[in-house]
Amino acid sequence: MNDEKMIQESAARLFADAAQDLTLNERAEAGEFPAALWTQIEESGFQLSLVSSDQGFGLMPEQALPIFAELGRYRIPTPLAETAIGLALLDAAGQSLPVGPGTVIDARVGTELSLASSGATISGRAQNVPWARHARWAVAQLDNGDLAYVELADAKGVSITPGRDTAGMPSDTISFESAIVRAVLPAPAFAVREPLRSLGALVHSTMMTGAMQWVLEQAIQYANDRVQFGRPIGKNQALQQALAQAAGDVATARMASLIAGQDFSLTDAERECRVPFGVAVAKVCCGEAGTRVAAVGHQVLGAIGFTREHALHTATRRLWAWREAYGADAWWAQRLGETAIRAGSTAFWTAVAERQFRTA
Amino acid sequence: MQVLNIRPAQLPPECEDLRAQVRSFLSDALADYPREERARNWSGYSAEFSRKLGERGWIGMTWPKRYGGCERSMLERYVVLEELLAAGAPVSAHWVADRQSGPLLIRYSPDVLAPRLVPKIVRGECFFCIGMSEPDSGSDLASIRTRAVRDGDDWVINGRKVWTSSAHKAHYMIALVRTAAPSEKRYVGMSQFLVDMRTPGLIVRPIINQLGEHEFNEVTFDDVRVPHENLIGEEGDGWNQVTTELTFERAGPERYMSSTQLMLEMLDAADASNPHHTLVLGRLVAQYATLRQMSLGVSGMLAAGQNPSMAAAAVKDQGALLEQAIPDLAHELFGGRVPPDSTLAKVQQHLVVANPSFSLRGGTREILRGILAKGMGLR
Repeated sequence: MNDEKMIQESAARLFADAAQDLTLNERAEAGEFPAALWTQIEESGFQLSLVSSDQGFGLMPEQALPIFAELGRYRIPTPLAETAIGLALLDAAGQSLPVGPGTVIDARVGTELSLASSGATISGRAQNVPWARHARWAVAQLDNGDLAYVELADAKGVSITPGRDTAGMPSDTISFESAIVRAVLPAPAFAVREPLRSLGALVHSTMMTGAMQWVLEQAIQYANDRVQFGRPIGKNQALQQALAQAAGDVATARMASLIAGQDFSLTDAERECRVPFGVAVAKVCCGEAGTRVAAVGHQVLGAIGFTREHALHTATRRLWAWREAYGADAWWAQRLGETAIRAGSTAFWTAVAERQFRTA
Repeated sequence: MQVLNIRPAQLPPECEDLRAQVRSFLSDALADYPREERARNWSGYSAEFSRKLGERGWIGMTWPKRYGGCERSMLERYVVLEELLAAGAPVSAHWVADRQSGPLLIRYSPDVLAPRLVPKIVRGECFFCIGMSEPDSGSDLASIRTRAVRDGDDWVINGRKVWTSSAHKAHYMIALVRTAAPSEKRYVGMSQFLVDMRTPGLIVRPIINQLGEHEFNEVTFDDVRVPHENLIGEEGDGWNQVTTELTFERAGPERYMSSTQLMLEMLDAADASNPHHTLVLGRLVAQYATLRQMSLGVSGMLAAGQNPSMAAAAVKDQGALLEQAIPDLAHELFGGRVPPDSTLAKVQQHLVVANPSFSLRGGTREILRGILAKGMGLR
């Protein structure tokens, strides 16, 4: 067995064990940080999986991403995704890596940050920051394309107001008042524009494929088990058709995220055009599929699936949260559409075949 | 449980040289081929164009050299096909023979029929049609009633086939018929025959489709006599052969690319500063990009000797959704707002009317999803 397979399987085992505790998500939604689980994750080193240098495992993104599909599949409430994304960004910009959970601050409506002219402090407000209250550090996207690396835990000038996303996970507002900036990661350190949003979208697309796969499995199982009118509801053709389309949707989403992972790099300048193409395609396809698969899952599971007595909501609410995170599918689609229209019909097929619009 | 595991396929580097050659050929060969005609995509017919492709070794390109093939890889073939479709080349004359009839003859009649016919297929001189559907047998193919009865060294066929595309232009039909009466086991007792379209007793009548075009036919068999050597493979093996063929029939890039010319027209008509245009077209670009990888992935599975019948059904289902979304989205963005004599309007008009067939041909959406449901353990 190769290393990447071992890493994926050990992640799956750890997450599967953690998911045995059916109160895990409930407690996280109530505001509890799963400290013991986080310690296990950190000891396994999964937060370093997206770090491409020798500070990490030296995996290619496509080798590390299956961990995040498992994370989505087992619906594990931790800041692992954000920590791994933040560490990958810090590593790509040559920073030494902090320990402890971290988070990332995407440029989005409701977030306005400004760096002091010295670059030493940051002020402003950031909304919908995942797990901010438990994060020791954050990497924030700035308007000029640079990223700021800031301390959060016990830092002066940082105040955090708790909030929750659609999945009930911590999604907080941070106010910065001349808070100390540990480093500015300059835009040219990255081969791609918007590295934070791009990696965030890729990782969350991949997480969605895991959550979708789990929803599909629950729905198939339930359709075969649940008897109405004297036979399993899975004998109902309308329901079979919906589930078959959902299976196609899951396969499509998975393909889009796998290809985006193969084409992704934060630092390889040769992939400058492939990265935004692959990520946009993945986020659009995973967003669309996630919307449909969540709907089919709920339709099949009926009333029980709409309750907290069944775990379906731990996946569907994540799908609804993640389809919006790091650029909603519509946002990425518009950007892809704009590029495609500007490139015109003669560039279209080449772009599909080459997986990029050559803008140079 | 992984319901459908379609892995990305990598195109070997030699494919890109081949792609460049195909593009260069197409830009010459199709220089005067208008966009309205390209909108027909793989329904476009030109025997002359098929012969030109044959000259270049791009028909039957994976087949053994002893039959005139080039023994190239399935992925190289995939690249040629997708370039032909992207350009809207008129490929229908040889398409069926290249996709399924040739491989069928090579596999099941390697010493008798294949040496005689396959070299002509490769040259783009011999075209096939498929006789599967009948008046009372559409999706339920096992209910066919056309019969072949052994008579000395011959078989005598009686019955009727419908929706037979290009039967009036094809040289041969591969016909699925009953060679034994229907029994409890519905899929038993069927066989396939090679039928020369000039055989006495075989009558081809046009069925005009809703586009007003003659593509479909009704083919009646009235004591059509074919020699025993035209029985393909073993007697009674017809169902097995057909299900293999259907995987090839469903796996190709033609199952998501049928509306490509309209996509191109929309891109040229669209305004990059209009958020409705960018949203709709961006979603379509993403779907194209992913379906291309799905379709390529299925070809990779075929190339690796797997049987991707589930994956092919899923890709055809998803591909038809894309093909069918495009004409309606063109209506949404541009309907009634472009000059009626514009290429966009003409291409759109053609595809709006052609559109319903995309989820019927090659297995209806419902049949495909039934296959998937069964594979997923439902039913």
